[in-house]
Amino acid sequence: MITIPYITALTTYFSYGLLFAFGQLRDFFRKIFDWWSKSSLQGYAPICLGLEDFYVRRLYLRIQDCFNRPISSSPDAWFDLVERISNDNNKTLKRTTKVKRCLNLGSYNYLGFAAADEYCTPRAIETLKNFAPSSCSTRVDGGTTTLHVELEKCVANFLGKEAAIVFGMGYATNSAILPVLMGKGRLIISDSLNHNSIVNGARGSGATIRVFQHNTPSHLEKVLREQIAEGQPRTHRPWKKIMVVVEGIYSMEGELCQLPEIAYVYLDEAHSIGAVGKTGRGVCELLGVDTADVDIMMGTFTKSFGSCGGYIAGSKELIQYLKYTCPAHLYATSISPPAAEQIISSIKVVNGEDGSSRGAQKLAKIRENSNFFRSELQKMGFEVLGDNDSPVMPIMLYNPAKIPAFSRECLKRNVAVVTVAFPATPLLLARARICISAAHSREDLVKALEVMSEVGDMVGIKYFPAEPEKQQLEGDRVKLE
Amino acid sequence: MAILYVRAAPTTDLNRNTEWFTYPGVWSTYILILFFSWLMVLSVFACSPGMAWTVVHLSHFFVTYQFFHWKKGTPFAEDQGIYNRLTWWEQIDSGQQLTRNRKFLTVVPIVLYLIASHTTDYQHPMLFFNTVAVFVLVVAKFPHMHKVRIFGINADQ
Repeated sequence: MITIPYITALTTYFSYGLLFAFGQLRDFFRKIFDWWSKSSLQGYAPICLGLEDFYVRRLYLRIQDCFNRPISSSPDAWFDLVERISNDNNKTLKRTTKVKRCLNLGSYNYLGFAAADEYCTPRAIETLKNFAPSSCSTRVDGGTTTLHVELEKCVANFLGKEAAIVFGMGYATNSAILPVLMGKGRLIISDSLNHNSIVNGARGSGATIRVFQHNTPSHLEKVLREQIAEGQPRTHRPWKKIMVVVEGIYSMEGELCQLPEIAYVYLDEAHSIGAVGKTGRGVCELLGVDTADVDIMMGTFTKSFGSCGGYIAGSKELIQYLKYTCPAHLYATSISPPAAEQIISSIKVVNGEDGSSRGAQKLAKIRENSNFFRSELQKMGFEVLGDNDSPVMPIMLYNPAKIPAFSRECLKRNVAVVTVAFPATPLLLARARICISAAHSREDLVKALEVMSEVGDMVGIKYFPAEPEKQQLEGDRVKLE
Repeated sequence: MAILYVRAAPTTDLNRNTEWFTYPGVWSTYILILFFSWLMVLSVFACSPGMAWTVVHLSHFFVTYQFFHWKKGTPFAEDQGIYNRLTWWEQIDSGQQLTRNRKFLTVVPIVLYLIASHTTDYQHPMLFFNTVAVFVLVVAKFPHMHKVRIFGINADQ
């Protein structure tokens, strides 16, 4: 539940209305202009419908410099941001040779494996020399190396499941698996805020899709009862299979799903694996759910393990079935060997099998960092979403003008944040999404808090009253005495 | 002064073009925009209040007809064009008829018409134009007119 001041809602709608009106006006004059001047592209069909990219042309391009910023170093806690300039009001951006060292609050670098690591990187380089950068083949043809077999065993052990299957790309994992598992005559019930990969996979499967309100198990139960009672549309025969798809941590909300209350479950742990839970095993561990209760666990290696690719873990029969049918296994190139080695090494570090306690330290650090940062932001009066222990914290901005203001002002003070607006989030609920990492030190976080407090006052996003500091109260008491 | 907070419950509407209409504050914004545009017309044209209401009513007719009932599809490409044959009115509330939002949007032009006619003392020619406008708008919002294209106007190829 997001609590928004009423006046802010009104002004946000009004601002979007104004932006929309100006966009339409400019389109209108552009149409007259183009009709007047003869186009050199006679006989060519347009690439896209004019109205389809209205949002991109008239709203997104205005603040284009806040998105897609190029970096020239690895995305560690601090990175080098390349500065860009625009000569035509943000319609095109040109890279300069100037580079700025900024604090990175946007990478999904939860355990700090994004930069060179003392255990993982030498092993990955060794693998790069022994195997090649790419396996150059699909899993079934010649792309299964000893590394792939070891990786699948490693992932299955880490999650406490019987078997696992690994793919080269996280997005492709979802969009290639769902069509295989579900088809016509089956029902997918998915959370309304599920990631685009799940939506694409569900649409591609041909199954009927029903959506339930985000994180509301009572609504899920209502939808389930309705659907089971009604059966398939038009024929009313019972459904052949029903699957509920939820995510571990929602990337835009930072909330954990209410797993214990949901029962045939497909859990997408892209953001939560490695980052939450006492030993990094994801939301199941955090919420005390036995992994045997979750039927299919999906995750990616891009966030916490510093690599690329995705996995599915489940029972032996399920994985065997997927190996025969899944197109991402049969036709797509297998995961790159150095990337696989990076995952194996980082899982070993998290488990403590590399002989040091760095894994446990990292996990404790990220939990400590997240809780500290979130509580400080809330004390300052920001509206921060997300549950405790979640390393993803969106700060609500709401007004469209505050999005570029917040982003640019933070950048001037060497803090790089990611801002998200419509259509990735609902129209009213634009936000800045902070991702905390185990690589951030306490000084980094304190600096980030100072910058955000200053920028927050300037931009006006402290929607809640700030809590008074304890020292002031004690000072008053001393004066009274 | 205490700040009034409202809670925004998450919706199940997947269509990003219309789900903004389910959040709190939209109705009030709509009414406030109409009221302020009346004030602006009064200050720019220095006409009588009745003429100002007629101007507001007619421009409201043109704007809402264009954006609710004429333009089809969504202003972004992420949904891959599944709504390209539907106008905004046909898209809201996932095509369900007679919801609260639809009833509100049907009542607004009628109330505007009543205000405009009353403040101009039901004189012609304003009354004629106002009546035509409200007639077209209300008929366009009937449940029976869902996905109907009269004489093929605004239909696809």
